[in-house]
Amino acid sequence: MKESDDETRQDRDAATRGQKLTSQRPAPSSRRVFASSRLRVSALWESFRVAFASLRANKMRTALTLIGIVVGVAAVIAVVTIIKGLDQTVASTFSSQGSTVFTVTKRPLVITSREQFIQTNKRKDVTNEDADAIKRLCTSCWRIGTAVGRRETIKHGDQKSEDVSTRGMSLIMFDIEALNIDAGRLWTESEAAAGRDVCVIGVDVLENVFGGASPERVVGQELRVGGRSFEIVGVVQKQGKIFGFSRDNFVFVPFETFQKIYGTRDSIAVYVQVPAAENLEEAEDQVRAVMRNRRGKTFNEEDDGFALETQDVFLNIYGSATSNIYLVTIGVAAISLVVGGIVVMNIMLVSVTERTKEIGIRKAIGARQADILQQFLIEAVTVAAIGGAIGVLTGFALAYLLSMLMGFPLLISITSAVLGVGVSSFVGIISGIWPAWRAARLDPIEALRAE
Amino acid sequence: MTEATLASVEKDEIIGRGELLARDAVPASLISMRDIWKTYVMGTEEVHALHGVSFDVQKGEYVAIIGPSGSGKSTLMNLIGCLDTPSKGQYWINGKQVAEMDDDELARIRNQEVGFVFQTFNLLARATSLHNVELPLIYAGVSATERHEKAKQSLTAVDLADRMMHKPNELSGGQRQRVAIARALVNNPSILLADEPTGALDTHTSYEIMNLFEKLHAEGNTIIVVTHEQDIAARAHRVISIRDGQIEKDERIR
Repeated sequence: MKESDDETRQDRDAATRGQKLTSQRPAPSSRRVFASSRLRVSALWESFRVAFASLRANKMRTALTLIGIVVGVAAVIAVVTIIKGLDQTVASTFSSQGSTVFTVTKRPLVITSREQFIQTNKRKDVTNEDADAIKRLCTSCWRIGTAVGRRETIKHGDQKSEDVSTRGMSLIMFDIEALNIDAGRLWTESEAAAGRDVCVIGVDVLENVFGGASPERVVGQELRVGGRSFEIVGVVQKQGKIFGFSRDNFVFVPFETFQKIYGTRDSIAVYVQVPAAENLEEAEDQVRAVMRNRRGKTFNEEDDGFALETQDVFLNIYGSATSNIYLVTIGVAAISLVVGGIVVMNIMLVSVTERTKEIGIRKAIGARQADILQQFLIEAVTVAAIGGAIGVLTGFALAYLLSMLMGFPLLISITSAVLGVGVSSFVGIISGIWPAWRAARLDPIEALRAE
Repeated sequence: MTEATLASVEKDEIIGRGELLARDAVPASLISMRDIWKTYVMGTEEVHALHGVSFDVQKGEYVAIIGPSGSGKSTLMNLIGCLDTPSKGQYWINGKQVAEMDDDELARIRNQEVGFVFQTFNLLARATSLHNVELPLIYAGVSATERHEKAKQSLTAVDLADRMMHKPNELSGGQRQRVAIARALVNNPSILLADEPTGALDTHTSYEIMNLFEKLHAEGNTIIVVTHEQDIAARAHRVISIRDGQIEKDERIR
């Protein structure tokens, strides 16, 4: 009985040995490649599993690591989203006028130095006569409007509102600035010519001095502007906010009325609109010639003595401001991601030291260096990517809050979300390499001895 | 019957050519160590943990390696288990020359040819019994369903079918060691290599574990137990005594 048992066992041994030898020798390389490619898939899944288990087991540590990444990514996402929202606002606001409008004023919209202020202050005012000359001589101009403004306190009953933009405008300004009347009407040409005390108001005025009454209710009511009584004939459609500032807090009165009250000593602005963008340059040249001529400027005098500007001036200033913000943000992001990377590396080094025994066990049962490397690298990338994802969400939430406060559209960009997670994952890889490499190189005997 | 014979002739037939160097001759034994030396350099001094150890283990043997601490038996165990390579000498396991393998090749041998059982179990604390047993299969690249199936079988073989979802800290010492044994066996290794497997267990549980080893041996597994306890060694069929880095005695007791 025992004999036969032994014999069968020996037979089986011989069979398996022969099989192992023959099956192994002819093509060892292909077999290894096959085995290792399969190995990667199962070990990869194991790596993710271990990574999540380890992150869950050390919640406090994970949270601190995450903060390092979240702050940087959130800051970038918030700033980028806000700027994109502002871009959208600016684009839509200014495209309603298009680049077919330019203005002639005494001073430029933005003054960048004290010298410039002093110099431009010495200039002659832009007057009604200048506007008339432009109307008469500029053949390429389509619409020519005049406007002049100051800030006044307005009152109705016992309610008052200070520092309200009060503008005297020629009728055609409503066409140039594409303003629509929501309730009531615009003043008539005869009312303007007579200098009647009529006005149209922005919707904020309803809120501020009429206790939120509807536009229809206030038409025909009295409004005191700078102590003088005006009749409200119309309300302008709501225009919304730009950069958090309302564009609906105004009182518009006829240009003639304004000058009747305040005199003609304030420098006015002449608005010129051309039929299409390609006519702009020609019209600008004509207006410049007319104005220089009226100021007695010879061709070799550099200063015009007035400012001729399109909205491009504003757009340029806006563009350079936001590009500076972008640059600063990228700088801040780079610094915070480096800091985040160092945090991740530090935590991973602690993790490797703490889990030396585990590494020893895994190596003893057949994990290769590549498997251990992969495991710790994935752990680093996982924490960084999760941090990135939370950062993206936090950034969008911040941008959302600010867009609510400041009144611009929220533009969630998938690109920046992907970029946020991608960049932080990359940081994870970079900062995970060294700790993972150390783990992979551990001597299994030493590692097993660790506590 | 258990004589160590070099099967160079057999290998020549398989490979089909005759000009093999002597060191490439593959022994027929499952484990074959030839003049193994392990030398550590401590400062300026060379310490020989093993000097000139040679022995063979045939498939299906149950061998105890016994010796006092400092005898070199731990070093020998690390070499047998392919956790380390010898400074000098040749070591074949299942026909593969291990002595000059690099780290990744050794990892592969550990994964496929050796099943470790440790004194302190060395289970992953956060993983269930099932996952612990699956681990060698993960590194062997076995698919998830097959892995589950094999791990379950292995746990059932050590009577732990009802403890698959328990974590090590929810198990007794004996149960933990049985999980470790299930893990060691799951990849069908050539040898089961146990290092003081009952060192952390009480007498009764030790007895159970040793019974389990006997059962596994009866099922055809090759077992090598490294211990310093005479009564544990006495359960084996062959005892190799190590002293001062050399084999002092190699006797068949059953």
